[in-house]
Amino acid sequence: MTLLRRWSIWALLAVTLLGTLGPGVFTGDPEAQVAAPFSRPAWTPGGGSPPLTAFLTTEKPAALVSWRWEPPPNVTISGFLRYAGQLERAEILWSTPGGKTFVLASSKDTDTLRVDIDGRDMSFKRSLGLSPFDDAAKALFPEKGTYTIAARPTDGIKEARVTLDIPGKKWGLLGTDQRGRDVFHLFLLGIRVSLLVGITATLLAAVIGLGVGLSAGYAGGLFDALVMRVVDILLSIPTLPILMVLAGLWGKGLWQLVFILGIFSWMGTARTVRALTLSLRETCYVENLRSLGAPTFYILRRHLLPEAFPLLMANVALGVPAAILAEAGLSFLGLSDPRIISWGRMLQEAHGFGAFSTGAWWLILPPGIGIALICLIFLDIGRTLEEMSDPRLKKEMAR
Amino acid sequence: MRSYWLKRVLGALIVLLVVLFLNFFLFRLMPGDVVSTIIDPRFSPEAKAELRKQFGLDSPLYEQFFRYAKAMVTFDFGLSFLSQRPVWEELRSRLPNTVFLLGSAFLLSAILGTWLGIHAARRRGSFLEKIVLLAGSVSFSFPSFFVQLVLLLAFGWALPLFPLRGSVSIPPPEGFAAAFFDYLWHMTLPVFSLVLLGFGSWAIYVRNLMVRTLGSDYILLARAKGLPERRVLWGHAFRTTLPPIVTIFLLALPGVISGAVITERVFSLHGVGTFLLEAILGHDYPAAGAAFFLLALVSIFCNLAADVIYGLVDPRIRVGRSMEE
Repeated sequence: MTLLRRWSIWALLAVTLLGTLGPGVFTGDPEAQVAAPFSRPAWTPGGGSPPLTAFLTTEKPAALVSWRWEPPPNVTISGFLRYAGQLERAEILWSTPGGKTFVLASSKDTDTLRVDIDGRDMSFKRSLGLSPFDDAAKALFPEKGTYTIAARPTDGIKEARVTLDIPGKKWGLLGTDQRGRDVFHLFLLGIRVSLLVGITATLLAAVIGLGVGLSAGYAGGLFDALVMRVVDILLSIPTLPILMVLAGLWGKGLWQLVFILGIFSWMGTARTVRALTLSLRETCYVENLRSLGAPTFYILRRHLLPEAFPLLMANVALGVPAAILAEAGLSFLGLSDPRIISWGRMLQEAHGFGAFSTGAWWLILPPGIGIALICLIFLDIGRTLEEMSDPRLKKEMAR
Repeated sequence: MRSYWLKRVLGALIVLLVVLFLNFFLFRLMPGDVVSTIIDPRFSPEAKAELRKQFGLDSPLYEQFFRYAKAMVTFDFGLSFLSQRPVWEELRSRLPNTVFLLGSAFLLSAILGTWLGIHAARRRGSFLEKIVLLAGSVSFSFPSFFVQLVLLLAFGWALPLFPLRGSVSIPPPEGFAAAFFDYLWHMTLPVFSLVLLGFGSWAIYVRNLMVRTLGSDYILLARAKGLPERRVLWGHAFRTTLPPIVTIFLLALPGVISGAVITERVFSLHGVGTFLLEAILGHDYPAAGAAFFLLALVSIFCNLAADVIYGLVDPRIRVGRSMEE
């Protein structure tokens, strides 16, 4: 109940919901380009055009585009015009405020004009009379003012559905990355990976640590000494290089990562559980159980495990940040599956693809703050659980 | 006294052995063997067998291990797959950078953390104590590389005081003094970031220890005797908390080395960590194994050094009484 009064448990709930339901809001593929690379977030002040769309419809086969910015990064036009009968020539025209007119698309001797144009297509540039190295968007937007896109002829249109898409240099809540992907979408997808890796790896470590700690603490003697020596040794070897080597050798999949993190972070739990077991082993009730002939496994399962459980839960919660940080660190070093979007991966790409030469802070702050927030949440939950399992801590803290 | 040193050295040797084992078996979990990476698949089976014999791969595993361990301990790491140069040459040029980064960051954060921790304990509830508590929780939860990236963005791009990458300018400046200051200029931000991330947990730990110590009876007695505050603080309280501080010194080391690997990557430093990463990404197994071994060796060596210091500061060991865990 104490837990329900903490901010952290509610924050965890909110983050989990955001991570599971959030990406569902987006209809598109997270890998798709939505705007120009390194587009700033839409709410930031300063230059850069927003994304724009214009439609030609059956009722209104012309559209106005008022333009007040630098030329856009690209232009795409897609859709079709269908006429009642066969026409000698049908066209989609683009007129600039200066009075120049470009033919964007044309057809001959058909009743339907289909368009699927990307401003980067060579054939499109040729049809505008540009060289393949020219920028079509620059040619189509030579100045500020009101542009017109229109179908010709306008008579006899049975159906028109043409979309003019101008990707912006500003996009969404958090802008875009070096490939023009929506950073906010990636950010939401990253929540899942962090939570999944953090929690499963720590649970795996907790199970190993519990097993080792219980058996070493209860058995005592040589076995205990040997196991604890192994723990000491593993604790004195830097983990990250081992994890790097393992990730490099065993492949970079998500589950390999969870496994690797799990088998190298159980030492702390094992120590705690062992210490508890050592003290419990000597208590009267355990001795009584032994004298009554209770099997060792029964004592461990029915009496020591429940005693160790609250402490174990606190340990798990406190261990999650370490696992999340380790996952993020490995991804940042490029040792994770490049197909899986995670916060560490986002930071790696920001670092590797020139977020620093462009000053793209929106690529660095969101994932980093996200990681820190999740870690703080689990730290708080862990401390609360620890206090609940050991009321002495609370007194000491209050003192 | 002697048994203490003997035990510590023996412990270090055991860790070394475990590292060698890990290294040996991890890289043998790979599909294929050393030979299959350097020979042409069209070689005849006899030629392959001959090569395997030359590399000693036909001898029993334990013999291979001993040969491997001997090679590792004598720093005979073989040739890198990527550069075809001896791995040790490559590593030797990088080791000073890593040791400088590690050593200076570790010492500075330990000194700063201890000093702040002691003063936070002396003035409970003060502004200083709040800073210490905040810094501690930040260093627990913020990914180190994120803080470093933000620092890089702030002081490398927005306010270009420090270089964005590298450990020396290209081309390096003429003259020893100029080169030295150029090196310091490049290392400032990495070391500063590690200190920033490191001192918080130190300070919290020292504060907690000192709070407990300052509340004990013998401190009260020392004060009652009318000893000057400075003497009470440093001569009595700090003196008794020194051994546990050194213990945490031991426990913090592996984490610091892990942090150094990432730091080198963020600031593109010419160090052992970046070498390890490049070797892993390039499937250069001899180089990766050697870099890992070297990092582990640095950790073992520092551990042993810390043990020596522990022995010097703990009177129970100095006078030769047996130590209890």
